Amino acid sequence: MMTKAEQQTELKSFQNSVAMTVTLISFGMMFAAMFLGYFLVRFNSPTWPPVEIENMPKFLPLFSTIVMALSSLTYYMMENKPQQRKAYIALTLVLGLIFLGSQWSLWSALAESGILISNGNVPSMVYAFTWIHAGHIVIALGLVFWIGDFVFRRPEALTVGKLVNVGKFWHFLGVIWLLMYLMLFVL
Amino acid sequence: MDISIPHRLIGLVAQGSELVVKASEQMSLWERMQPPVDISTSGHLIHWLFNYTTYVNLFWFALVCIGLFGFSFLYWEKRHKKALYTHGNEKKHLMITAFIGLGVFLSVDLVITKVTTRDMKEVFWNFPVNDPELVKVQVLGQQWAWNFRYAGVDGEFNTADDVVQLNKLVVPVNKKVMIQMTAKDVIHAFYIPNARIKADAIPGRFSKLWFDTTKTGNYEIACAEMCGNHHYLMKAQLTVLNQEDFDRWVKESQQIAIATNDTENMDLRWGWKWESR
Amino acid sequence: MAFLEQHIHDAPTSFWSKYIFSFDHKVIGKQFLWFGIFWLGVGGLMAMMIRWTLAYPGVPFPLIGGLMFPHSGGVVPPDTYAMLFTMHGTIMIFFAITPILIGAFGNFCIPLMIGARDMIFPTLNMLSFWFSMLSGLVLLFSLTLPMGAAAGGWTSYPTLSTNIGQPGAGQTMWLVSLFLFGVSSTMGAVNYITTVITLRAPGMDYFKMPLTIWGIWLTAILNAIFVPVLGAGLLLLTFDRVFGTTFFLAGAAATSGKGDPVLFQHVFWIFGHPEVYILILPAWGITSDLLAFFSRKPAFGYKMTALSLTAITVLSTVVYGHHMYTTQMSPLLTQSFMTLTMLISIPSAIFFANWLGTLWKGSIRFHSPMLFSLGVVFVFGLGGLTGLYLASTSIDLYLHDTYFVVGHFHYTMAASVLLGGFAGTYFWMPKMFGRMMDERLAKIHFWATFIPLNGVFTGMMVLGYAGMHRRLYNPFIYEFLQKLMPINKFVTYCAIAMGVAQLFFLWNFFKTIFGKNIPQASANPWEVGTLEWTIPSPAPHYNFDEIPHVKCGPHEMGNPNLKTGRDYQYQTEELVKS
Repeated sequence: MMTKAEQQTELKSFQNSVAMTVTLISFGMMFAAMFLGYFLVRFNSPTWPPVEIENMPKFLPLFSTIVMALSSLTYYMMENKPQQRKAYIALTLVLGLIFLGSQWSLWSALAESGILISNGNVPSMVYAFTWIHAGHIVIALGLVFWIGDFVFRRPEALTVGKLVNVGKFWHFLGVIWLLMYLMLFVL
Repeated sequence: MDISIPHRLIGLVAQGSELVVKASEQMSLWERMQPPVDISTSGHLIHWLFNYTTYVNLFWFALVCIGLFGFSFLYWEKRHKKALYTHGNEKKHLMITAFIGLGVFLSVDLVITKVTTRDMKEVFWNFPVNDPELVKVQVLGQQWAWNFRYAGVDGEFNTADDVVQLNKLVVPVNKKVMIQMTAKDVIHAFYIPNARIKADAIPGRFSKLWFDTTKTGNYEIACAEMCGNHHYLMKAQLTVLNQEDFDRWVKESQQIAIATNDTENMDLRWGWKWESR
Repeated sequence: MAFLEQHIHDAPTSFWSKYIFSFDHKVIGKQFLWFGIFWLGVGGLMAMMIRWTLAYPGVPFPLIGGLMFPHSGGVVPPDTYAMLFTMHGTIMIFFAITPILIGAFGNFCIPLMIGARDMIFPTLNMLSFWFSMLSGLVLLFSLTLPMGAAAGGWTSYPTLSTNIGQPGAGQTMWLVSLFLFGVSSTMGAVNYITTVITLRAPGMDYFKMPLTIWGIWLTAILNAIFVPVLGAGLLLLTFDRVFGTTFFLAGAAATSGKGDPVLFQHVFWIFGHPEVYILILPAWGITSDLLAFFSRKPAFGYKMTALSLTAITVLSTVVYGHHMYTTQMSPLLTQSFMTLTMLISIPSAIFFANWLGTLWKGSIRFHSPMLFSLGVVFVFGLGGLTGLYLASTSIDLYLHDTYFVVGHFHYTMAASVLLGGFAGTYFWMPKMFGRMMDERLAKIHFWATFIPLNGVFTGMMVLGYAGMHRRLYNPFIYEFLQKLMPINKFVTYCAIAMGVAQLFFLWNFFKTIFGKNIPQASANPWEVGTLEWTIPSPAPHYNFDEIPHVKCGPHEMGNPNLKTGRDYQYQTEELVKS
C-alpha cells in the first residue's frame, strides 16, 4: 500500500508526464513541418548535395553532435546519480554552452566559405533550421540552469517531475539535432 | 443548361457595356443567378454534377428541416408535456442512425466521387497532347496583367517570331486549346468563367489546362487568386473566332510580330520550351 | 483509485491579482470573453466596410468614412480594401472565434463541468491569455503603420506575402502576431488536454463528460498537434522576409536561389483544415448539450455523437489538400484528398441524426440558448451540405475562389460558430456573472441575427455560382458580373441588418453585468444536472467545496422513475432505476 503522500506524488508525476508528452508532440510537429519542407526540396532537387553546399564544413557539425550526445548523457547521469548531481549538472550546462559556441562558429565558417543565407534553398535550410534549434537550446539551457539552481541551493525542493521533464525536453532537442545533422550534413 | 435570351445577349454584345447594363436591367432574379453562358464542351459535366449534388442536398436538407421544424412544432413543451425517456442507444435507434449514414454514403460520397473521378480522368486531366490541330498557348501572369504567347510560324516557343499578346487571348472555335502557364511575381489564377475552368499560375512551376469552345464571341478572363491591391483589375479578353477569321488574325499578327519584335531584348523572351507531357 | 488533491488558496483581494493577473480559470475565461467580443466588433466593422465597397463601389463609407479615409474623400481605397479583408479574416478566426469559443468557454467550462477546482496549470493559463493579449496588441499596432497592415489575404500565400508583394512591416507584424497567438493556443491546449485527462472528478468517465467538454477537448488536441505546424510556416516565412532565406521565393521574387511557394500552402493547410474543426468542435459540443437540456431528455445516441466527433477530428487531419486542387497536385493525391473529404459526410450525418433524435418526442423549451442551438443545426446543415460541391474536384474547377466558397465557409465557421457562441453565452451567463440576461432581448437578438444571416451567406453562394470571384475591390469591372449588382446590394443590406442586430446583444450583455436592479440568478435556472449547476451562481472561489463524486451521465432528464419532483437529476446522484 502506498501512503497518501506517495499516491499524490505518483499522480503529480503522471499529470506532468501527460503535459510534457503533449508539449513534446507540439514541438515535434513544428520540427516535422520543417522536415517536410526539407524532403520536398530534396526530392525535387536534381542533384544531391547541390552545388551551393559543396564546401560545407564537415567537422563542426560532427563536433556539435558529439557535444550534444555527451550533454544528454551527463543529464541522464545527473538524474540517476543523486550524489554527483552538482558535478553532472555543471557539466551539462558547460556542454550546452559549448554546443552553442560550436554552432556559432559553424555559422561563421559557413559565411567564410561563401555559403550565405540567401544563396538558395539548401543554405536557407541549413541556417534556418540551426537557428531555430539553437533558439530552443537557449530556452532549454535556461531550464537546465533553473534545475541547477535547485541542485546547488535548495536540493530539497527539487522534485522528480521537474528533473524528468526538463530532461525530456533536453533529450528531445538532442534527438532533433541528430536528425538535423543527418539530414543536412551527412546524407 | 437553359440559357435565357437576355443572358445570351451578354455574350454577343459584350463590347458595348452600356448595352449590357441595359440588358441586365430587365433581368429577373433567376436570370441574374445563372452562371455566364457556357462556351465549352466540358462545362455541362460540371453542371450535371452540380445539379445532382443540389438535388441530393435538397433531399437531405429537407429531412433536416422536417426534423428541426416539425419536432419543434410537435414537441413544444406546451403541446408535449412529458418527454420520452430514451438514450437513443437501443438497437432500433442505432439501426436508424446507421441507415442514415449509409444513405448519405451511397447517395453522396459514392456518386459524387465516382462521377468526379470519371470526369477528371476522361476530360479535365485528359490533355489533348496528341491532337494534331491543338492550339498551344503559353500564359504568363504578372501584377496585374496576362501575357499570351503563340509559337508563331516555326512552331517553337520562345523564338523571335512568337506572337505575344497582352490581355488578349484569341482562339478558334471548335478547336482544342491547351494552355501552359506560370507567373512572374506572385501566384495568380487563370479563370475563364464561360469555360468553367481555372488553374493557379504559380511562380517557378508550370500548370496547364485545356478547353474547347463551342461559340464565337468575346468573353472575359479573370484572375481568381488574390495577387495584390489591384487584383480586381487583372482582366483579359478571350476572343473566340471562327476558323477563317482566326487564320486571318494569325497571319496579320504574325506579320506584325516579325516586323516589330525586338530580338535583342531578352526580357521579352519569357517563354519556355513547350512541355510535351 | 486516488485523485489528485486540489488545494484551496485564499481568494485574491487586490484589484490586480483579482481581475488582471488572475490565476482563476473563471476570471481568465471572462477575460477571453471580453477580448473576443472587442475583436468581434472590430472584425464586424471591417466586414461592413467590405460589404459597403462591394455594393457601392466609389461611394464614400457612411458616417465614419471621411474620418478614416480622408485622402480618398471617404471612399475605401483599393489597398485598404485588401487590408480590410485580410484583417477581417485574421481577426475573426484568431482573435474573435478562438478566444470566445475556446478561450472563454474552454477555460470557464472545463473545470466546472468535470468537477475540478481549477485548471491544472493556472500559471500557464494566465500566460496563455497574456500571450493572446500581446499578439492582439501587435496586430492592432500593425494597423497604424504608415504602409498599412498585412494585405495578402488571411492565408498569406507567398510570394505575395514576401517582400515582393508586401514590402511594408505590416506583414512581418502579422507573422509575429500569429506566432505569439500560436504560442498562446499551444499553452492553452496543453493545459486543457492535461486537465481533462487528470482532473476529472471521481466517477467522471470519458463517456460521462458533457459533450461540450468532448468538443473542447478534441479541439485542444487538434490545437496541440497542428498549431505548431503553422508556427513552422510562419517562422520560415518570417525568415524569408527578414533574413533573406528563399524557402517560398520563386519567379521574379527569387533574385538568388529558388524555393517553392506551394510548400507554404501545404504547411498552411495542414494546419488550416484542422483549424476549421478547431473552431467548430466546441460549438458542436455546446449545441449537442443544449439540445438535450432544453428538450428535457437525454442526448440521443450520446456515445455515437462523441465517437463521430472523434471520427471527424481524425478525418480532419488528412483532408487538407482539398484547399489546393487548383495548384494541380498529382491526380492520385487529388483523388485521395477528395475521397477522404467525402467520408466526413458520414460521421456528420450520424451526429445530425442524433441531434434530431434528441428533439424527437422531447418537451422542448424555447429559451434563448435553445433557439441559438436550433439555429446552429439549421446553418450547419446548409454549410456542411454545400461543402459537398467544393469537395468535388471538377465542380471546384469552376467554384474555387468564388463567393460560393466564401458563403460556404461563413456558414460553417462564422454562422454556426457565432450562433453556438451566443448560445453558450446566454446559457452560462448566470454561472459566469450570477445574473440572467434579458430573455426578451435575447429572442429579438436571435431572430434579428438569424434571418439576415441567411440572407448574407446564401446571397454569397448565389453570387459565387454566378461566377463572382473573391477579393475583388470592384467586381463590376467585369461585364459578366454587372448583373450581380442588385444581389450584392441585397447581401450588403442583410449584412448591415445583422450588424445592427448585435447591438441588442451588446445592450443586453452590458446591462446584465453592470446594470442596477438586475435580479440574481438562482443556482440552477435552466434546471439541468451537470456539475456546474450544483454550486451557487456565480460560481464561488475554487468552485467546489468538496470534489463531487459523479454517478450518472450528463443529460439524465425526463426519467419517469424520478421521485424528487424534478424532471432532471444531478450528475452527483445515483441513476434512478425502476
